[in-house]
Amino acid sequence: MSEQPPIPPPAGQPRPPHPPRKVVLPPHRERAHRPLSVRAREWVRRNLFASAGQTLLTIASLALVGLIIAGLVWFVFFEANWEVITVNRWLLFAGGFPIDQTWRLWLSVAVVFPLIGGAYGMWADLGRRDLLFIVLASAFLFYLMAHGGAGPTSSIWFTASLALFFAGYLVCRRVPRETGPRRTLAVRSLSTLIALALPIVLVILMAGGGARASEFGGFMLNLILAPVGIVGGLLLAVPLALGRASSLRAISWTCTAYIEVIRGAPLIGWLFVALFILEDLISGPLIVRTMVVLAVFTAAYIAEYIRGGLQSLPRGQAEAAQAVGLSRWRTMQTVVLPQALRVSIPPIVGQAIGLWKDTALISIILPLRELVGNSRAAIAQAAFIPDRIEVYAFAAVMFWIVAFMMSRISQRLERSLGLGER
Amino acid sequence: MTVQAPQAPAPLPPPQETPLRYQRGFRNLALQAVYVGITAFVIAYVVLQLGGREYGFGFLNQPAAFDVGNQWLTNVDGTTNSRFTMYLVGVWSTIRVVLLAMALSTVLGILIGVARLSSNWLLSRLAMLFVEIFRNAPLFVQIVLWYAIVLYGFPTIQNVINIGDFAFLSNRGFAIPWPVPDGGFWGGPDWLVVIWVAALIGAGAAALRLRRRRQLAERETGQVRHPNRWAFGLFAAVALISFLLLGMPVSIDRPIVEGTSYAEGMGVLPEFSALLLGLTIYTAAFVAEIVRGSIQALPRGQTEAASAIGLTGYQRLTLVVLPQALRQMIPSMTNQYLNVSKNSSLASGVSYYDLFFVANIIQNKIGHAVEVFLLITVTYMLMSLLISVVMNYVNRRVTLHSV
Repeated sequence: MSEQPPIPPPAGQPRPPHPPRKVVLPPHRERAHRPLSVRAREWVRRNLFASAGQTLLTIASLALVGLIIAGLVWFVFFEANWEVITVNRWLLFAGGFPIDQTWRLWLSVAVVFPLIGGAYGMWADLGRRDLLFIVLASAFLFYLMAHGGAGPTSSIWFTASLALFFAGYLVCRRVPRETGPRRTLAVRSLSTLIALALPIVLVILMAGGGARASEFGGFMLNLILAPVGIVGGLLLAVPLALGRASSLRAISWTCTAYIEVIRGAPLIGWLFVALFILEDLISGPLIVRTMVVLAVFTAAYIAEYIRGGLQSLPRGQAEAAQAVGLSRWRTMQTVVLPQALRVSIPPIVGQAIGLWKDTALISIILPLRELVGNSRAAIAQAAFIPDRIEVYAFAAVMFWIVAFMMSRISQRLERSLGLGER
Repeated sequence: MTVQAPQAPAPLPPPQETPLRYQRGFRNLALQAVYVGITAFVIAYVVLQLGGREYGFGFLNQPAAFDVGNQWLTNVDGTTNSRFTMYLVGVWSTIRVVLLAMALSTVLGILIGVARLSSNWLLSRLAMLFVEIFRNAPLFVQIVLWYAIVLYGFPTIQNVINIGDFAFLSNRGFAIPWPVPDGGFWGGPDWLVVIWVAALIGAGAAALRLRRRRQLAERETGQVRHPNRWAFGLFAAVALISFLLLGMPVSIDRPIVEGTSYAEGMGVLPEFSALLLGLTIYTAAFVAEIVRGSIQALPRGQTEAASAIGLTGYQRLTLVVLPQALRQMIPSMTNQYLNVSKNSSLASGVSYYDLFFVANIIQNKIGHAVEVFLLITVTYMLMSLLISVVMNYVNRRVTLHSV
C-alpha cells in the first residue's frame, strides 16, 4: 500500500495543527490486551481442540505422553539400579587414566569450557532453551559427582569451569557484531585458541608424568578422538576438494577415486583396516592409527561438502578475481575458498556431529576402551550383569548431550551466517 | 587461444618470449609430474610394506567350519559349505534388514515429518521430541540399548506376553503369524501358491493400468471416474476369485510357544529386532527432517489455493502437499538409504550375522585381512550402486520435465 504524498500547505498560511491520532493496534496486539485466562483458553482451543479430529489427536498424544512419562519415572526412580554407574564412574568417564592425576582432567575441562562459551558468544546467542539445557546438563553432572562421593574438589573444579564458560561467553558477546578490524581480530584470536585447544589439552594430560596414550579411555577418549578426526579431516579435505575440482586429469581422477572409495565402505570397515592392515604401514600405538583412519574417513565426506560449496559459487567470482590480476593461487586463497567454506559450514558441522556419534562404534572392532567399550566392561562385572539397560542408557545420554549442543550451535551458526538469505 | 584480428591497423610489437617457468602448459605438466611422483612413491611404499603377506582368494573356497545364525529361508550348514557361501548368507541377512529398515523408516519418517508440521501443538512437539532424541544419540548405542531392552526388559519365555494367541513377546524376541503355502481344499500340491502369486502380480499390473486410464479420462472429461476405487476393486476381485479357484493355497500359520522357544509362525530373534528397530527409528528421525524441509519449501500458495477450493485437511495433504514434497525429497532420501546400507554393518555389535560379522569371523580364523576387506568394500559399493541406480530411476520417473 502506497502512502498518499502529503499535500503541501498553501504558501503563506500557517500549517494547521495535527488532529489527535487515534491509536489503532493490529489485531494480534489487540488480542494481547485481553486477560491471560481468556488468551490461554483461546490458545488451547485453537492449538489443541480446533476440531473433532484435532481433539482426538490431542487425547491420543496425551495418552502417549502419560505412558512415556510413567514408564520413564518407573524405570529411572524405581526399577533401575544406578549403582552400576556410580561405582564405575571413573571407568566410564576416564577409563584407565591414573586416578591421582585427576587435576589434569579438570584443568583440561577448565581450558575447553571458556572456549565453548566464547564460540557461543562470538557466533551465536545463548537462547532460553540453550540456558535451560546447560542448567539441566550441569545439574545432571553435579548429581553424578555428588552421588558417587567424589568429594568437594570435583565440584569446585566443575563450578569454576562453568563460571569460565559464562565468562568466555560474556567477553565474546562484547565483540561488535559487524565486520570490522576489532571483530576480525577477535575472531582470529578465538579461532587460533580453539585450534590450539587440542594440543594444549594433550600436553596437559600427558606432559611431565601424566597419562600415557594407552591409558586414555572412557568418555574422555571419545572427546579426544572426535576433534582429532574433525580437525585432521578438515585439513585433508581442502586440498582434496580442490584436487577433485582441478582441471588437471591426474589430480582430479586420483582425488575422485580416493573420495569415492573411502565413502564406499562403512567406517567400521576402515576401523578393520586400522587394526589389521595399517599396522604394516604406520608404526605407533593403535590410538594413533585410529586417529589417522578417522581423519582420512572424515576428509572424504567433508571434501564433498566443500566441492558443493565451490560449485555453488558463480563463475563470475573467479573470473572477476583473475580480471583484476590475481594469480590463480591468490584467487583461490582470497576469493573462492573463503566463500566456498562459508557455504559449506553447516554440512561440515553436521559431519562433525556424525563423527562424534561414530566414535561410539570404535569398540566394536578395536580394543580401544571408549565409553561404549567400557560400558561393556562395566556390565561384565558379576554384580552388574543384569544392568545393561542402565549402562547403555547412560552412554546414550552422555553422547546425546554433546551432540545436541553441537546441533544447537550449528543451527544458530547457520542463522547468524545468514545462509540462504543472500 | 589467440584471436587474429582481420586487419591490424598497426603491427603488434614482437611477442616477448615468456620464460618457460611461467608458461601455463609447462606449469601444469610440472605440477602433475610432481604429483604423480609423490603418488607413485606412496603406492610403492604401501605395496612394499604389504608385500610380505600371502595373497590369493583361494581361502574363500575352503570349508567354513563355523555356523551362521539368524538364517531365514536358507539353512546353510557351516561345516560342509565354503567360506564364500557363508559370506553370501551374511549378505542375504544384510539385504533383508536393509530393505525392511528402508521401507519402515520411510513410512515412519513421513508420518513424523507430517506430525511435526501439524497444527496440533502437542502432536508437533511430540514429533520434535522424537527427532531431537533419536537423531542426536549414536546409532550403535541405540541398537545395543534396544538389544538390552529386549533381553532384560521383556519377560522370560515362561511369562511370555500373549497377544490373543496371535503374537508373542518375550526376551527371545517376538513371534507373529506368517502365511505358508497349503494344499488347500482341493488337496493340490504346494506349488499352487506360485500360480496365485503370479495372478496377484498380474492383477496388480492390470489395476495400475485401469487406474491410469480412468485418471486420464477424468482429466479429459472432468467427470468423476473413481480411479482408486475401480483399481482396488479389480485387484481385490481377481485376488479373491483366484484364491478360491485354487482352493485357498495359503494358510496363516499362528505361532505357538514350545518349551523355551517359538515354533510355527514367524519368530523374530532379539538381534534382528534390535538392529531393525535401531536402524528404523534412527533413520526415521532424519527422514522426518527431510520431509519437514521439503514440505516447508513448497510455496505457501499451494496449501492456500488448496484450502481456497475447499479441500479438507487430509485431501490437502494427500493431493497437493505430499505429491509435490515427496518428489523434491528423493535425492536426500537416496542419501539416507545409502546410510542405512552402510549402517547395517553395526549388526556386529549385537551378534547379528550380517556380511561384516561373517567376514570378520573369516578374518579371525584364517587371516587374509586385505582380501577380506576388499570383499567387504566391493559388496558395500555394489549395494550403494544398486540403491543409487534404482533411486535415480525413480527420480527420473517422478521429476516434472515440463515447467
